[in-house]
Parts: sequence; C-alpha cells; structure tokens
Amino acid sequence: MKIFKYIVSKIFLRKAILGIGMVLLLCMANYITFTAVRSILSTFQGYQETRYINQEGFYIANLDPDSHIEMNTVRENGTQAVYDYINNNFNYAFYADGFIVSVPNIDDMEISLVYMNKEYYKLNQFELLQGTDLEFDYQFDKEIPVLIGKGLSKTYPVGSTIEIEESVLGRPITLKVQGILKQNAHHSNYYALNSKIYYNFSVLFPVNEEFINHANIDLQLNGLMDITILQTTKEEISNLSEVIKDNLGLKFNFFSQKENYNYINKYYFHTLKIISITTIILLIVITCLSIWNALVSVRLMLKDFTINLLVGLSYSKLKKIFYGYFGILSFIDLAVIFIITAFNRYGCWLRKDATFATYGLFGLIGMDWLALLLVAASDIIIGMIVVESMLWKIKKIPISLGVLQ
Amino acid sequence: MTKIIDLSVKEKIYKSKKSQLSILNDFNLEVAAGEKIAIVGESGVGKSSLLNIIGLIDRNYNGEYTLFGSLTNNLHASKLAQWRNQKIGFVLQESALINSLTMEDNIKLPLLYAGSGKKEFKPEVFESITNAIGIKPILKKKPLECSGGEKARAVFARGIIMKPQIILADEPTASLDMENRERIVTLLFKMNKEFNTTIITVTHDLEIANRHDRVIHLGRSK
Repeated sequence: MKIFKYIVSKIFLRKAILGIGMVLLLCMANYITFTAVRSILSTFQGYQETRYINQEGFYIANLDPDSHIEMNTVRENGTQAVYDYINNNFNYAFYADGFIVSVPNIDDMEISLVYMNKEYYKLNQFELLQGTDLEFDYQFDKEIPVLIGKGLSKTYPVGSTIEIEESVLGRPITLKVQGILKQNAHHSNYYALNSKIYYNFSVLFPVNEEFINHANIDLQLNGLMDITILQTTKEEISNLSEVIKDNLGLKFNFFSQKENYNYINKYYFHTLKIISITTIILLIVITCLSIWNALVSVRLMLKDFTINLLVGLSYSKLKKIFYGYFGILSFIDLAVIFIITAFNRYGCWLRKDATFATYGLFGLIGMDWLALLLVAASDIIIGMIVVESMLWKIKKIPISLGVLQ
Repeated sequence: MTKIIDLSVKEKIYKSKKSQLSILNDFNLEVAAGEKIAIVGESGVGKSSLLNIIGLIDRNYNGEYTLFGSLTNNLHASKLAQWRNQKIGFVLQESALINSLTMEDNIKLPLLYAGSGKKEFKPEVFESITNAIGIKPILKKKPLECSGGEKARAVFARGIIMKPQIILADEPTASLDMENRERIVTLLFKMNKEFNTTIITVTHDLEIANRHDRVIHLGRSK
C-alpha cells in the first residue's frame, strides 16, 4: 500500500494533466456505454412487455400523423357513437393515463389516475404486493375498487378509502384500495418502447362500459388513441376506421403488433443498431486515445519508473500498481455516472414527478444497475488494454537506458 | 574465498536502430566475495553492458550467469528485483535521480522496496553515509537544485544504503572534484574492508582502477 501511495502521489500525480485526461476519456467512454446500454435494455424490456398483444386478430389504434385533433370540433356524442359501435361489435382493451389528481400522501406526490378495462388488465397480468385483483363489476355510485402503487400504500393500506374529485366523471367519488402493485410496476409506450411511465404513485382505475358511457370526452378520446381491438379481422377494423372518421373527423390507423414490430424493426431497431455501432466505434476511438495518453505518460515518467525498477520494484508489482491506479480512475468515473443517474432518478422525487419516480437506491432501478455493471465491464477491458500497453512499453526499454533518460 | 559471481557470456548483441554490434564474445568472469575489480576499456566495448548483466537488469544475452550459487537465467523477475534491492547496489551516473523527490527520499528509495528487511535499517547508517560523503546540507533539496557532483554523491549514497553484498559502480567519480572523488573511493573501499562487499567498478581513471584487486581490460570483439 505504501508503495502504491508513493507511486501514485510522487509519479502519476506529478503529471496530473495526464491523469485528468485519462479520467475524462474514461468518463466519456462510461457515459456513452451507459446511455447506449440503458436505451437498448429499456427497448428490450418494452419489446418483451408488448409481446402479449402480438396475437392473431389484435389491432392497435394509431392516430394518423396527418390527422390533427381540434378539440372544439370533436363532439361528445361523436365519441359516444364510436364507443357504442365498438361496444356492439368488438372486444377491446382500453387504457388511458395522464389524469392528475390531488390526493394527500406522505410523499406529497401528485397522483396519476390510470384507467383500464378488464381486457387490458387481463392482458397485462399485473403483479401485486398485497390485496386482490381489480374488480370491474362494481356499483357505479358506491366505493370503486382500485389498485394503487407502492408509494401510496404507506398512506393508503389495503382496505382504506380515498376521496377524490374525479375529473372524468366531474363529481366526487370514493375509491377503495383493493390491492397494491409491485414496486416499479410500469407501462411502456407501444410506439416508443424505451419510454415508460411508472405506477408507484398511480391509481389503477377499473373501467367498464357504464363508466365509459358516463365519462367525459377527454377520457373517451384519450382511450381511443391506444385502444386495442381484440379477436377481429382487417375488414371489421376498416369499418371501425370509417366510423371514427365519420363521427370524429379523425383518421385512425389500426396495426397488428406484428405490423408494429415490422415498423419497429425497420425504423426503431435500425436506430438502435446505429446507436450500438456508433457506441462501439466511439469506444474503440476512446480506447486508442487512452492508449496514446498512457504511452505519453510512460514516455514522460519512464526515468522515474525505471529508477524504481532498478532499486527493487518488480514488474509484477508495477503491473498491480497500474491496475490499482486504473481501478481508482474507473471507480471515480463510475461514481460520476452513478451520481448523474441518481440525480436524474432522485430528481423525479424532488420534483414530485409521480409518473417517473422509482424505488431503489437513490431511485436507481434494475436496468440502471445492469448498465452500470456493463460500464464496469467495459472499463475492465479498456483498463487491461491500457495497462498491458504501458507495461509493454516499459519492458521494451532496458532499465539501464531508462534510468538515464 | 567464496565464489559469488560465475558469468559466461557467449555473445551479447547490442542493437541500435541502424545497426547491431556483437560485444562480450566468449567472455567469462568469476568473482569471489569481497573482491575489488575494475573494468577498463575504450568506449563501446561493453563495460556498462557487462555491469547491467551482472546487476540483473539485462537478461538479453547468450550465456549463463550464476549469482550467489543460483542460475539467474531462469529466476523469476520478482526474485531478481528482490536481489537488486537487497544484494546489489548500483552507483550510476548523476542523472539517475527522480527529480520530483528530495535528495533524502531519492537516497532512501531502496528502503521502500525492502519489505521485512527494512526493519533492520538503522537511521544512523543513513547519518553516517551522508556525513561521510558530505551531502547532509542538500538532503531537503531536489535534484534540479543541486550540482552535478552533489547528485553523483547522492546516487552513490542510494547505491550503498542497503549495505549490499555487491556494489556495481559505473564511472562513480566522473563528475567529481578531487576531494569528493577521494571521499567516494575511500568509502567504497571502507565498505569492502568492513563488510566484505564485492566492488566492481567501470572507470576510465587508471589511478582508481589500479587501487582495485584486479583490473579487467575489455577489448573490441573481432
């Protein structure tokens, strides 16, 4: 340890600029790797999550990019007519989120109401920490059974009730907590697989036909955007598109998940491939720059190293010192990446951003840790290449010449 | 007397970017413990290369080298490093100092690598060495603040601080005035007398060479 401290403080840190250069290069490598790995992991997670709708006869709604919603032209009887048609002709999975409501809770978070019907709930198979599954055959004017996120369970245990001013119905209602979702339960966007919202501070609200009929136009229209029609045909879907166009003036496309995957494979995964290739190229460039930096360091410190070798330092000990030094630099960079990630994750708690607040050490979730692990692995590879290059350079020059440099 | 060095070099190739030179062809050397040997010869004949081989810092030659009864050719590098630290003292040219360390730290550098042997080190040894060669006033200075002669004496002090069994000196008096030259030689021979230290000196100074037990003249290989 004494030798390590001596070599680091009296030799490496004498040329601090080279050490700082290495830290910056590693930091770049780590940040690029972390960002790319997390994007890929999140996309893969989203891909896995949406597999449940990849079934024959399932079609997911998608507002045509050229069709613009003008809210004042959409009438409630128009959306109701669409829902009447859907209710009469189809089985469908309904989902709508983004409805914020103020509910007192220990963490003082704004609460997001997430509406879903029985089909959507069945397809998603939510995992519960406590309580029982969501019920959809409830009395509309009595307590409505809901599931809540883990963050709300401290304030509202199973069996407790929550009074809210419900904006969709436009009247106060009472919710009864029937179950608590597993921590960090989430929903991935169907068309942007790496985009997620987390349910830790959400209320999962059961929606049935009667509820939709009484809901305002916001929920009806919002729900239409992501509606999944089940067990149907292309022809029937085409008729539905016509009904929507006639009643709302909006052009809706319906794609099977297979078609969506084709789209994702064509455009989204292509982007991921570019990200991966760019990351690898950047990592190679950064590794080359790190080797160059290391060899310049050796050239400038060669005399110091070889004098130490002359008086008793062995190459094997020097190798351990190099790995130790590189390990410290990597640790500093990993800590920086950890702090940046924790700042982002924990920032959601500080900003009271209910849809992105996650549980974990400083809010870091599984994919963050996995990405950090892969960053550490890339550091080990870069470190081995750099350290072995340095040793090769030092061994190449005889001690007798090095001491007189 | 105990034989501690038994060296047999068939050939040592000295490579430069443009050419290569064959030196120390069929060179044999046996040295007994406590012997004082001077190596003389014109530049380029391989005097320093021979010291490097004896001092275990060059193993790139064709031959066999037995030191302290062990064949060194197959010894592990960490064992060689340990011997360089504890059994062999190098007295090189004045520039072989680390500029970021004080003179004292430079002199004490071998102690850092001595491991358990360090416990045997007595501070009075350091005191007596620095007193004897007159460098006490410059111990807190850095090499760049010292003269060539002062640096040469510091290099000498570092070479003998571990009380090695063999001292290898490459032109130890080249940059010294008469007074300091005599100090160094006296101390070198005193160590030989008191501790039976083997001294091998490369020098161009025939007067100093003749004060050794044996003088080896190296000539050009044919």
